Amino acid sequence: MKIEVEPLARVEGEGGIEVEIEGDQVKEVKFNLFEGPRFFESFIRGMHYEKVPDVMRRICAICTCAHSMASIKAVEDALGVKVSRQTELLRDLLIHGEMVESHALHVFALALPDFLGFPSVVHMAQKYPREVKGALQLKKAGNLVHNILTGREVHGMNERVGGFATIPSERDLERIKEAMQLTREFALLSVKLFSSFELPEAPRSENTFIALDPGKRFGYFGERHVASDGESWDVHDYRKYIKETTVKHSRAKHSSYKGRPFMVGALARIRLFGERLEGEAKELFKQHKDKLDYQNSLSNNLAQALELVHSVDRCISDVEELLSLGLKKEEPVEVKPKAGTGTASVEAPRGILIHSYKFDAKGRVVWADVITPTAMNAANVDKDFRVAAPKLVKNPKELERTLEMIARAYDPCISCATHLVRIKRI
Amino acid sequence: MKPKVGIFGFTGCAGDQLMILNLEDELLELVGALDLKSFTMASSAVEDGEYDVAFVEGSITTPKQKQKLEEIRKKAKLLVAIGDCAAWGGVQASCNGILKVEEKMREVYGAPDVWEIYESKPLSAYVKVDFVLPGCPIEKEEFLRAAASLLRGDLPEAVDYPVCVECKLRENGCLMLEGKLCLGPLTVGGCKARCPSLGVDCIGCRGVIEGEARVKSAIQVFKEAGFKLDYVRARLRMFAANYPEILEVKG
Repeated sequence: MKIEVEPLARVEGEGGIEVEIEGDQVKEVKFNLFEGPRFFESFIRGMHYEKVPDVMRRICAICTCAHSMASIKAVEDALGVKVSRQTELLRDLLIHGEMVESHALHVFALALPDFLGFPSVVHMAQKYPREVKGALQLKKAGNLVHNILTGREVHGMNERVGGFATIPSERDLERIKEAMQLTREFALLSVKLFSSFELPEAPRSENTFIALDPGKRFGYFGERHVASDGESWDVHDYRKYIKETTVKHSRAKHSSYKGRPFMVGALARIRLFGERLEGEAKELFKQHKDKLDYQNSLSNNLAQALELVHSVDRCISDVEELLSLGLKKEEPVEVKPKAGTGTASVEAPRGILIHSYKFDAKGRVVWADVITPTAMNAANVDKDFRVAAPKLVKNPKELERTLEMIARAYDPCISCATHLVRIKRI
Repeated sequence: MKPKVGIFGFTGCAGDQLMILNLEDELLELVGALDLKSFTMASSAVEDGEYDVAFVEGSITTPKQKQKLEEIRKKAKLLVAIGDCAAWGGVQASCNGILKVEEKMREVYGAPDVWEIYESKPLSAYVKVDFVLPGCPIEKEEFLRAAASLLRGDLPEAVDYPVCVECKLRENGCLMLEGKLCLGPLTVGGCKARCPSLGVDCIGCRGVIEGEARVKSAIQVFKEAGFKLDYVRARLRMFAANYPEILEVKG
């Protein structure tokens, strides 16, 4: 028997789950990523540095700001650009706003229907109208950050190499604060919900985690990768530690660390740096420590819920800090093109993202490398599948449902989260 | 009877479908007014059948996608391309005619023939497209307005004026006079000149105004303003490389 979950609509494109069963034995189980490849690393060559982020942020819609930030920071790293404190704070606000938007969508609209037994958030709205409307308003608050800082919700243009083209008004920043305060209760609700669910035990297995060291405070920018085995390295050295190989069944190259799959994303961040959370997010983290099963990748949902609370509160505190410093109408830092190589890594909603470029003397790209979190997680999803499938082989319905839930928990990309399931007998 | 609708995605970033989900205030009402047969990005409930309107995002780059698109076309009364990938092939088409797919595949995946992949083409290269909602991403208000017309069976009115028109209405200064290469004069309006209003030159994400844009004259103007042809060409190709007049520009 062959079970195919297809289309697993898209994981930054199209994907699916394939299980081959012979008698009572699982012969093969794969997380197939059939996304039509786009070859960004190839066609970006020759592009002038100033326009590189405008192209590269289009790798992904739901984490466009993470790509934007990684791309801009890699360019700045190569060209030796130092930005102002105000720019750093605005960027911190932006990346936290994206986390609110993306996590609200994933936690409530993509993951939650599984646990409550609905095919979609719209179906769920009939029974839980207040919760669903609240979740959408929380998502909207995240999008408001995008709108105000980048110029629109998806693929903005205001965040530039060296700073921001136009500095938002104080009133606009206050609107962000108000929207976050109004919808904060739904971030808290997500923690309450996901800490109450029992997780399927089937995928439980050893996980190795990698995340970006955020410094003293929990956050999504940093200069060093840290692994759960205690190793750490400067992001510039990522190629020494994170190896990529092409596999036939997936257009996302598979990644390994010391020859093994690894996991990135909210669970990795909470596992490695949860102690650095602040305020109510830290309280909740302590309170639900026993519910965070690090050997069960499905715990990523609860980790995202904790990050929702953190990110809402950080948006509020970033706005307060910006307002207390007073907004200066500054132009982006002037940049002089030169030959050089630059690398940057940021935490996208679904895990560490790396952009690395080499420029010629005129500031044109001669080489580019991008590793997305979805690609990094792909081998770990396969690992979870291999562990879970044999335990559920006698119950194909349960097998499908569990494998889908595992794939979704990684939040590989919005569209992979819900899809049509088809069983084919061979 | 509620209109039957399908929303589909091919090669791209899913940003146009995301813009539909970004209609946070209208989403539940909108979905409630439709008989949504397929929207795999948001729901696992999928039904087979005909569509009054099929909204399709993404460009076509694999044989399987081509086949699926043809199936959608057969089942749909109206097929609407949403976003730049579906309309023009997207940023992934920007090196069409310059860099072969095999070379790109060798570079990114280590071998030229790992899979059968097509050069990125718009939907119209394979099927009849009834209407185009342009943009990278689409404007969600424009989507709502267009959806309202389409669901009554009418084709909406397409925008046929450039970004410059809306830029002037917003009383922005011209960025070309500040020494920036702005693609506003060639690009389909309807975005309220978002980028120039923030002081950022238009990168042409809504595609070229078909049949109206004066590409050759624009290139001349850009060259006279001091921009090198290879830079101008790279900029024009970013979102509209498959537009014939742009495709034939030599570097």
